[in-house]
Parts: sequence; C-alpha cells; structure tokens
Amino acid sequence: MASLLQSDRVLYLVQGEKKVRAPLSQLYFCRYCSGLRSLECVSHEVDSHYCPSCLENMPSAEAKLKKNRCANCFDCPGCMHTLSTRATSISTQLPDDPAKTTMKKAYYLACGFCRWTSRDVGMADKSVASGGWQEPENPHTQQMNKLIEYYQQLAQKEKVERDRKKLARRRNYMPLAFSDKYGLGTRLQRPRAGASISTLAGLSLKEGEDQKEIKIEPAQAVDEVEPLPEDYYTRPVNLTEVTTLQQRLLQPDFQPVCASQLYPRHKHLLIKRSLRCRKCEHNLSKPEFNPTSIKFKIQLVAVDYIPEVRIMSIPNLRYMKESQVLLTLTNPVENLTHVTLLECEEGDPDDINSTAKVGVILEQIFEGREGAKPYRQLEKSIPNGQNSKCKGPEVGAFLPCLRNRKEARVATEG
Amino acid sequence: MPLYEGLGSGGEKTAVVIDLGEAFTKCGFAGETGPRCIIPSVIKRAGMPKPVRVVQYNINTEELYSYLKEFIHILYFRHLLVNPRDRRVVIIESVLCPSHFRETLTRVLFKYFEVPVFISNNRYRESGCIASKLETQLLEQCTVDTSAAKEQSSLCSIVINYDLKRGLKIQAAKFNIDGNNERPSPPPNVDYPLDGEKILHVLGSIRFSCGNSFEQDNEEKSVATLILDSLIQCPIDTRKQLAENLVVVGGTSMLPGFLHRLLAEIRYLVEKPKYKKVLGTKTFRIHTPPAKANCVAWLGGAIFGALQDILGSRSVSKEYYNQTGRIPDWCSLNNPPLEMMFDVGKTQPPLMKRAFSTEK
Repeated sequence: MASLLQSDRVLYLVQGEKKVRAPLSQLYFCRYCSGLRSLECVSHEVDSHYCPSCLENMPSAEAKLKKNRCANCFDCPGCMHTLSTRATSISTQLPDDPAKTTMKKAYYLACGFCRWTSRDVGMADKSVASGGWQEPENPHTQQMNKLIEYYQQLAQKEKVERDRKKLARRRNYMPLAFSDKYGLGTRLQRPRAGASISTLAGLSLKEGEDQKEIKIEPAQAVDEVEPLPEDYYTRPVNLTEVTTLQQRLLQPDFQPVCASQLYPRHKHLLIKRSLRCRKCEHNLSKPEFNPTSIKFKIQLVAVDYIPEVRIMSIPNLRYMKESQVLLTLTNPVENLTHVTLLECEEGDPDDINSTAKVGVILEQIFEGREGAKPYRQLEKSIPNGQNSKCKGPEVGAFLPCLRNRKEARVATEG
Repeated sequence: MPLYEGLGSGGEKTAVVIDLGEAFTKCGFAGETGPRCIIPSVIKRAGMPKPVRVVQYNINTEELYSYLKEFIHILYFRHLLVNPRDRRVVIIESVLCPSHFRETLTRVLFKYFEVPVFISNNRYRESGCIASKLETQLLEQCTVDTSAAKEQSSLCSIVINYDLKRGLKIQAAKFNIDGNNERPSPPPNVDYPLDGEKILHVLGSIRFSCGNSFEQDNEEKSVATLILDSLIQCPIDTRKQLAENLVVVGGTSMLPGFLHRLLAEIRYLVEKPKYKKVLGTKTFRIHTPPAKANCVAWLGGAIFGALQDILGSRSVSKEYYNQTGRIPDWCSLNNPPLEMMFDVGKTQPPLMKRAFSTEK
C-alpha cells in the first residue's frame, strides 16, 4: 500500500539544524512552536520496556535489575528464535513405594526453527514449566568485583587527597568552627545531594582511623601459553560442532567455541520510544504503556496538521515544450487554510540541479481555501490566474512545467 | 553489586561504556563483568546493498557524523535501552585514533544525544589492517560450488570474512623451531556452506597461509617486531618490567594458537643480532585477563567507569564543551584549566528536569 501512495515523491523541507527532506508521513508537527519536526530534530527517549514474545510490560527498575532481559522467555542460542517449553511424561518411582511408578511431567526447551533443544547442551529437564531455567554464571565475577572494590578504594583515597588539598588552601577563610572537629569540613558535604552512602561514610571517618583495606594480588603473568594440539592440522573440521561468530558474540561473557557449550539466554527486551521537541520540550509522540496497544497518548503527527500535497498526474514531459502538472492539496484540519505556492528559493541545491522548471507566478496564485469538514466532496480544479476561494477540503492546481534538460527526474517545490 | 544500588537510593546512574572497534563494537554499563552486546560496527541503509562500516577514518565529516549518529542511536535504543541524556559515557579509543574521528564522535554525543558527560579511555590498537589481507587471499583462491556450476568466488561478495575465520579454524601456523624450512603438509580442505545452496570450498593451503599473514611480510615487520620495536623505544629501566607483563587484547588475538606463536616468534627474534644488542631482557610473559580478549579493553573502561568518586573530575561535561567547543586530547588531559573552569567534581550531572519518576 505504501508503494501505491508513493509517499516519497513529495518531500517536505524541515528547517532544523540541517535541512532535511522527508515525506509527510514521517514528520511531526509541534503545535506549540508551530514547526515541522523530523526524526532528526526531536529527542528520543525510552518510554517503557516490554518483552517481544510474551508482550509483558516491565517497569524500568526491574528491567535494569534483570539486565534488560525477560524473566520467562528464552532465545535459541543457535538461531535466536524464541524457545518454547515442551513437556514429556516420564515415569518415576514413588519415594514411599518403590514398586509403583507415576507419570510426572518433565519440561525442556526446544526451538521450532532449528530444532535445538536444551538437552543438546546437557541441561537436565525441569519439573516446573517456567522459572526453573538458569543462565550460567560468569566464572570471573568474583575476581572482577574485587578489582572494582579495590579501585573504588583508590579512587576514594584520591578524592580525599584532592579535597584535603582544596581545604588546605581555603583554610584561611574558614571560621574556627569548621576546622578539624568535623573531619574534612562540612562544606564538602553540602552539595552532595545524590552522593552514595558509602562516600559520605568515608568522609566522616576521622583521619587516624583505619578503613578496611582491600588488598588484591597483582595479576600473574604466565611464561608459557598452551600450544595447539598436535593433530590440529590434520583433524578434519566438523562445522556443525563449531559455533558461528554471531552465536559466539551473543554471549559476550563466555563466547564458546563448541556448540555443546551454547546455553540459551533470556530474551532481550524492546522499548517504546517517546519523542520530544528540542526547542519547547513538549512531547510530540507518546505511546501507550500497554505493549499490546498500538495507540498513542499524544500523537502530533504532521499528517494531521499540514496540508498534504500529491501529484495527481504528470503528462509526457517533452524537452523545451510546456506541459501541465496537476497537484492536489488536502486540508486535514477544520479551519481555513491559506496556501501560497512560490518558486524555489535562490541557491537551493535542488533547484539548481532540477531538470524541469515549474512556472509559478507569484501574483496570480493566492489561493484561499475553505476546508469546512474533512470529508466533503472533491471540487473541480481551479484554472490558473484566479484568485479564488474554494469549498471543500481539497483543491487542485494545474501548473505549467517546462522541461529544460533532456534526462533525469523532475522535482518541484512549493 | 552493592545492595543499595538496586533500591535506587543515591540516584547515581551507572555510566555507559562504549568501545568502538573497526570490526565490532562492545557496549555496556560500567561495573559489570562483560559488555551487554558485541555487534558489528556497521549500519544498514535502505539504498545500499552492503552494510556500511561506521568506523572509517578517511571519509568526510558530514558522512561520518551521520553514520555515527545512526549507529549510536541503534546502540542506545536497541541494545542498551536507556536514555542517552541521563548517563555519563566512557568511550574507549585507540591512542592512535585520528582527532577528526574523535571530534566528530564528541559532537554527535554532545550535540545530538546531549549526553551530560564524556570520558575517554585509551587502549592499544592491534594491527587490524592485517585482517583485510586475509580476505583478499580467500577471495582469490577459493571456489564456490553452487548447485548449477562452479563459479569464481569473486561473485560471493557476501562472504563474511570473520565468520569464515572461525569455521575454518585458521590457525597460526606451527612454528618450526628447529629451523628447517619444510612446510608441514597442508590441513584438509573444508566445505563451508553459505546460504543453503552454495558451498564454499576452502583449500587447505589457504587455511594454513592465512595465519601466516600475521607473520613477517616483505619488510620483516610483524606483530612480534612491533612489540620488540616498541620495547626498544621505552626507557631502559622499564624494559624488563614491560617485557614480563605483556597483555594482548583484541578479537584477532583469539585465533587458536596465536599467543603461542607470538611468544615463539618473539623469543626467536630476540636472538637475532638486531635485537640482541639493544634489549637486555630475554624473559617475556603474557597475562591472562579475566575476560575474553576482545572484551578486555571494554572491561578496563567499565572498571574505570564504576568509580563514581573521581569520574566527575576526569571527564568533559556538556557545559565545558559548549563553552570551549573542543575536547582535550589525551596528551593534555592533566591541564588545570579543566578543573578550574568548571567545578565538575562536586555535582553529578543534573538529571533532566522532566525525569520520569520511574527512571532509576
């Protein structure tokens, strides 16, 4: 349908930081500063998170905690399709009575697309349908946390040193009350509106006191690195066992080389975006919170405010012969709209490179148009040279067009 | 993670750490053990058949600006899922990164995304240009077998170079320490399926020789000589310490057997008269960092970004950038004007005046 409408034939110019030309369907209109906005001159913001497969909304605090991953859904590590949970019945022995057996359900994950299952990597079947699956832990987490703590301590020391130096400089102006008695000075504690609790605690310690020192061992370098196994050269490669680069990079912590190490990950969330005008900071587009709803709370799209220009017909354009182009303009609002057609501005790059000139003479065209209600009948088109009013939301105009180049596209500007 | 951070008290948001590499970009949050995503540094545009590489140093500023803008937009809204305005950004870049690239990136971040604060961190750049040699070799010598007929592989421009590397297990060639010049017999050929119908036959000898492109070329330069030459440039007292603490980072170094070969080459080269006279040390040791080699640089940035206390003072704020219009280069980061002009140490970046209450 979009190709039927040919929306990219008529481009609207947006005067932002850069001149952007885009079809009307991709533009927004800021009602408060009365200007067209394109996607590049609005600021984008994250509105809400949701999972694309279970369509469950997730509050941003939870999303942050779960690292932007859904709690229930998994991705196939091979093809990134969503995994589905399948159940099989297995017979197990009752704990009290070894003779009898009951049927219990065991669940496993399977991919409908590439036929991967959780049993391929050795994950045992779980007895609960959801919530039983865990992602493997990064083995280096402990070490890294220690490193971070150590560096934070260093950073704290550096900051304390720096603040002490600053304090020492200002010591002359400081009244007696603010000296050593309060540690490093209350002045440094004041603007700290959002400071973390530990830094405050650090400041209030007296200088003589010993904070718990975190010691780490410096990393040990190794002399010898493992060489390749002897048969590496001669062993035929089994490509089904080796992971592709994309599969590896989906799991940055592990990056397994063998397909038998590829564990599934929770599904990554998607976001709904809201747009905001950079000049007046009003919202231009704000979607609904509910992931299943496609409506918007605020939707200031240009199609609802700006008249739409369409090229109804293009005749055969012959070199150096005048022909007529028919344009229609549609008024989307209920108010009167005055439309003026002008020639291209001087020095406009599109004008210089254009292949045909559309003759638009200024004094002749001043069309006032009444658009009473948006769905009335289409009136006939108005001949050139008339200063006229027209009833109805649509108006058409014949424009003489002179092709001045033998080849390439025609572009007109209104 | 400390407990209070989950409760949202304190309110300082973790910084975003981005490592823009020529092939892949690693991005994530400070304080975490690994990046959230590793994606190829390309953008797909409607008009162009192939994806466009974002990290290019030779294109003009306007194009680079638009590529970077689009790419960072994707990073924030598809992978990180946070507002760019709220968080500090730590960028990891190579020491040899051209200023023009750096400045365009800064402009994109500050002007378009309006990040509050920007810090840059440095890492070494591995010889990424060597990787492109592999691609040309492969394209010349392999043939493609489609169901209809055999075609020259120049037709398959879809060949993803890096993907092939992994499948073919191109490995650093075994080094003949004995000194004889025989080539070991080439490894077996591999049939690599592309796209369902086509199969790429990769000759065994190609697999073998691709690894060799990391070794000495005509001018006798290679990664090993790079290391030794840079050691020579360092002050004498530090050379021994440096030699015993080599850290090799980057995706290319994850080729199986690369490190072993590198060490062997270095040890072999040190015996040569060119280096023997100048370098006093013979011991070379390599570190094994707590992450995969392609994430190590990112990890460094993440640890740095987790230091909330001094992060403010070592960064460039938006106000400073608006006032001066430039970002200090890594050689002038210690200049006092940075601190005196704007007191960034005290306050954290102001949250947007219309910050949603649910944003933590």
